[in-house]
Amino acid sequence: MTKNLWRALLASSALVLLGGAALAEDFDYGKFEGYTLKVKLIGGTQYEKLYTRLPEWEKLTGAKVEIVSSKNHFELDREIKQDIASGSIAWCVGSNHTSFAPQYGDLYIDLKEFISQGELDKYVPGTLASAMVDGRLVQLPRVTDVSNLYYRKSLYEDPAKQAAYKEKFGTDLAPPKTYDEWKQQIIFFADPPNLYGTAFAGKDEGLSGRFMELLRANGGDVFDESWKPIFNSEAGVAAVQWFKDIYDAKAVPAGTVNYTWDDIGQAMAAGQLATDLDWPGFAGYYSDPASSKIAAELGFATAPVGSSGKRGGWSGSHSFSVTQACDNKPAAVSLAVFLTNDESAMMEAQAGNLPTRSKTFDEVKTWFVDNGKPQMAEMFNAWQGSLAEARTPPLIAQWIEVSNVIWPAVQAAIVGEKTAQAALDDAAAQATIIMQDAGLLK
Amino acid sequence: MNFLRLPRATPYLLLLPAIVVILGVVLVPLVVSFWTSFTPYNLTKPATLFQFVGLRNYERLLGNADFWWAFGRTILFITIALNLEMVLGLGLALLINKVTWGQRTLRTIMMFPMMFSPILVGFQFKYLFNDAVGLVNNALFDLGIIQQPIPWLVDGSLAPLTIILAEVWMSTSVFAILLLAGLMALPKEPIEAAKVDGCNPWQVFRHITLPFLMPFVYIAMTIRSLDVARAYDMVRIMTNGGPAGRTELLWTLMTRTGYNNSQMGMANAMGYVSILTSILFTYYFYRKLVSARAFMGGAQ
Amino acid sequence: MSAGSIERPWQRWAIRIGVFIAMLILVLPGAWVVLTAFRPNIEVLARPAVWIPQNLTLHNFLGIFGRLDTQQGLPVANYFINSMVISVTSTVVAIAVGMMGGYAFARYRFRGKAALFLGFMLSRTVPGVALSLPLFILWSRLGLIDTSVGLIIVYMAVNIPFTIWLTDGFFRQIPVDLSEAAQIDGCTRWQAFWKVEFPLARSGLASAAIFAFLTSWNEYALASQLTRTTASKTMPVGLMDFTAQFTVDWTGMSAMAVLIIVPALVLTFIVQKHLIAGLTFGGVKG
Repeated sequence: MTKNLWRALLASSALVLLGGAALAEDFDYGKFEGYTLKVKLIGGTQYEKLYTRLPEWEKLTGAKVEIVSSKNHFELDREIKQDIASGSIAWCVGSNHTSFAPQYGDLYIDLKEFISQGELDKYVPGTLASAMVDGRLVQLPRVTDVSNLYYRKSLYEDPAKQAAYKEKFGTDLAPPKTYDEWKQQIIFFADPPNLYGTAFAGKDEGLSGRFMELLRANGGDVFDESWKPIFNSEAGVAAVQWFKDIYDAKAVPAGTVNYTWDDIGQAMAAGQLATDLDWPGFAGYYSDPASSKIAAELGFATAPVGSSGKRGGWSGSHSFSVTQACDNKPAAVSLAVFLTNDESAMMEAQAGNLPTRSKTFDEVKTWFVDNGKPQMAEMFNAWQGSLAEARTPPLIAQWIEVSNVIWPAVQAAIVGEKTAQAALDDAAAQATIIMQDAGLLK
Repeated sequence: MNFLRLPRATPYLLLLPAIVVILGVVLVPLVVSFWTSFTPYNLTKPATLFQFVGLRNYERLLGNADFWWAFGRTILFITIALNLEMVLGLGLALLINKVTWGQRTLRTIMMFPMMFSPILVGFQFKYLFNDAVGLVNNALFDLGIIQQPIPWLVDGSLAPLTIILAEVWMSTSVFAILLLAGLMALPKEPIEAAKVDGCNPWQVFRHITLPFLMPFVYIAMTIRSLDVARAYDMVRIMTNGGPAGRTELLWTLMTRTGYNNSQMGMANAMGYVSILTSILFTYYFYRKLVSARAFMGGAQ
Repeated sequence: MSAGSIERPWQRWAIRIGVFIAMLILVLPGAWVVLTAFRPNIEVLARPAVWIPQNLTLHNFLGIFGRLDTQQGLPVANYFINSMVISVTSTVVAIAVGMMGGYAFARYRFRGKAALFLGFMLSRTVPGVALSLPLFILWSRLGLIDTSVGLIIVYMAVNIPFTIWLTDGFFRQIPVDLSEAAQIDGCTRWQAFWKVEFPLARSGLASAAIFAFLTSWNEYALASQLTRTTASKTMPVGLMDFTAQFTVDWTGMSAMAVLIIVPALVLTFIVQKHLIAGLTFGGVKG
C-alpha cells in the first residue's frame, strides 16, 4: 500500500517537474528584481480583467508594474502622439491596435528580435501576420476583432415570422448567408420604433471599416497595388447603396449614423435590434442577463458574404507593443508575452473574446461545455469561420487619415446629401492627395 | 529700480503677476503653434516641425469648402447660442430678482447646470436625445405625440438645434448669474425717482435698468464668446461634427485634423483663421463695453 | 426688492409660476442624470421606457469604490483630492492676481491700458487645440506634465482675464470719493482698499470666485491632455474611465457625475452667503 502511494507520488512529482521544464522551455520570463516597468494600457472593463494577472508577473519576475495610463484607444492614441511630438517616451509597454500601429513609425521595436520563432508559432498565424508593419513585428496580439453576426433566436424561430418570410421570399427564415439576404431580413424584421433590423456604427473608423468590409466582400478594395484609391468603384457604390437601402427603408434606427459601438451594444442589449454584425467582445455583454434582455435567446452566425461570394472579414487585433526608448527591453518583452500567453489567452477567451493563441480555441470550447454554456462553445465555431477570411485595413500610416475622408462621404450618401458615386468620387480625390503627399502614390 | 517706486509704476506692478501667467501659458505656446502653421508638421514625425512650407497650409484652407462650411457654421452657432442665452439669462435674472423668498436656494438651483462639466453635458444630451432609447423620444412616444422616432442628432436641422439646446441649457446660467449680480448692484434712487415721475415699469427697465446693466451684458457676452469653445467637449461627444458634417464646427474639424490625422500644422493654420475671427468679435464687444462704461463713469 | 410692494397678486403668482417653470427646465435634464446614478443599467436607456424606477440601488457607487467583484474600483479619492487642491488653489490665486489687475484697470490711468485690457481678453480667444500641443511640449520640458502645479498654472491663466474684467466692473462702481475720504482720514491707500473698497467689491469677488472654481472643477479638455495618472487626474477626466473602446457605462458615469456635482453644489450654496452680503451694495452708491 505504502509502496504504491510512494510510487504514485513520485510519478506525479516527476510529471510536475516535466511540466515545469516544458514551461521553462516555452518562454523565459526572466528576473528583473527591483525594476519598475512603466506601461500604458487600454482601459475599460472588458480589457481590465486581464490586468489582474499583473501581480502574477510581478511575482514571477520580481519587477513592479506601474500603469502610467489607462484610457480607451482613441485617447491613448492622442496621448502617444503627444509623447512622440514632445520626445518624452518614458514608458516601455503600450497597448496597441493593428489599425493604429502603422502610424507610430519606429516608436516600437521589432519583437522578432526578442522572441524565439518557437514561441511566435503559438499565435494564430493570420493574426500574427496582420500584426506586422513593413515586415516588422511591432505588436503581440491579445484579442482579435472580426465581424460576426449576432441574432435573436426568438425572432428567427417564431413560426408566424417563419411562415410570413417563406410566403414573401420563398425561402426559409435562417441567419443570412449573403449581404443581400441580410438586407432583406433587416427590412423584414423592422418594426419601428420597437424593433429594428440592425444598426451600424455610422461614423468614425467604425463606418469606414464596415464600408471597407462590404466593399471587399463585393470584390472591390480601398487601394490598388500602387496605392491608388479605388474605393469609388462599382463595388464601392453597391456597398454604399446597401447602407442607404436599409436606412431609407427605416429598418435601422435613424440615429444610427451618429452611433458608435456603445450605442449599438446598448440597443442590441435592450432588445431593439434583430441582428447585429459586431465584434466578438459583445458576446459576454449580450449573454449576461444582468445587462442584457436578450441573454437567453442569443444566436451566433458567421458574417455574410458579398456579391463576390467572399467575406470582407474586417478585422484587427488589440495588442501590446514595446517602445524603442525602453530602458529594459527584456522586461518589457517578458510582460508583453506574459499578457498574451496561453493562460492570458484563455482568460480573454473565457470572457467571450477571440483569442490569439491557436490552441486556446479548442480549450475554451471544452471549458464552456464543461461549465454549462454550450451556446458559447458554439459561438467560437462561428467566430473561427469568420476569422478564416479576416483582413485588416491597409497597414499604412495614412489609413486613419484616409478613413477620415471615407466615412463622412459614406455618411453624406446615406443621409442623401450626395449620390453614392459623387460622394465616393470626392473622397477618392481627397484620398489621392493624401497618398501623393505621403509619397506612396507617384 | 527707481521706476518701480514711482507712483505711475503702481498699475504695472499690480498687473505684473497676471501678465507673467498669461505670457507663459498662452503667448509662448501661441508662438510655437504660429510657427507650426507654416510647416507640414505631422505629430508622429517630429522632423517635419522644421520644414518651412510658407503659406501652403493657408492656401489649401482657402480652397477647402469643408473648412469654410465649418467656419460659417461656427459663427452661426456662436451667434444664435449667445443671443439666446443672453435673452433667456436676462429673463431669468429679472424673474429671480423679483422673488422675495428662498433667494439663496433659487440662485443655487439656477446655477445647477453650471455644475455639469461640458463633457458630461455631452453624454447627457446624447442619451436624452438618442432616437431609439432616449428619454425625449420615449416621452413623446408614451404621450402619443409621435409614432416614429425623431432622429434628433441626425436630421440636418434638428442636430444643430439639439446641440444649441444643450449649449443653452449648459450656459444660460452664466448669463443669469452675471446679470443678477448686476441687478443687485443697481442703484435704487434713480428707479424710485423715475417712478415718482410717473414712468411705467417698461420705461424704467428700458431707460434705467437696461443701460445700467449693459456693461454686465457686454462683459458676459465677451466672456462667453471667448469660452464658448468649451462647447467643443460637448459637441465631440454628441455628434463629433457628424453626420455628413452637418454639425461640424471649427473645433471638431481642427481636433480631428490635428490629432486623429496628425496634421498639426494644418490644424494650427485653421486655428489662426479662427483666432483672427475671435479677435474681431472681441474687439466689437470691447468697443461696446468701453462706450457703455463711459455711461457709468470711472477712470478711462 | 422694493418693486414687490406695488405688485398685484396676479403678478406675484405669474412670477412664481414663471420661476417654477424656469427652474423645472433648468433642473430636469440634470436631475435625470442624478436619478440614473441610482438605477440599474437595464432600466435606463430602455424601450419601452421604465418611467417609475423599479429598484433604486447603490450598485453603481459600490462599483466605483471597488466594492463589487466584477470590476476594479476607481481611485476616486485621488481624483477628488486632486480636483479640490487644483480648483481651490487656482481659484484663490487667480482671484488675488485678478483683483490686483482689476483694481489697476478701474483706478489708474496708464499708458497701454486699453491695449493691455484687450490683450487679456484676447488671450482667451486661443482655441484649445492650438494651445494644447505646444503647452504639452512646454510643460513636459518643465516637468509639469501630470502634476497639480502644472494644471493650477493653466487654470490661473484661464481664470485671471475673467476675474480682471469682473472685478474691474465692480471696482468702477465704487465711488472714488469713498477711498479718498478714508485717505483724508489718515488711511494709507492700502488700508483704504482693505477697509473700504474690498468689502464693497465682495459680491463681485464672490461671483468671480464661483466662476473660477466651477471652470476649474469642470474643465476637461486641457486636463485630459496635461494629466496622466492619479498624481494629477481630476474628476472630469475620471469620467472618461467609464468609456471603453466599445462601451460606455452610462449608469456608472452618472454615479461619478453625482460625486462631481454634489461638492460643487454645496460649495456654491455656501458662497451664496457672500453674494447676499453684496446685496447691501446697491444702497451704498449714490
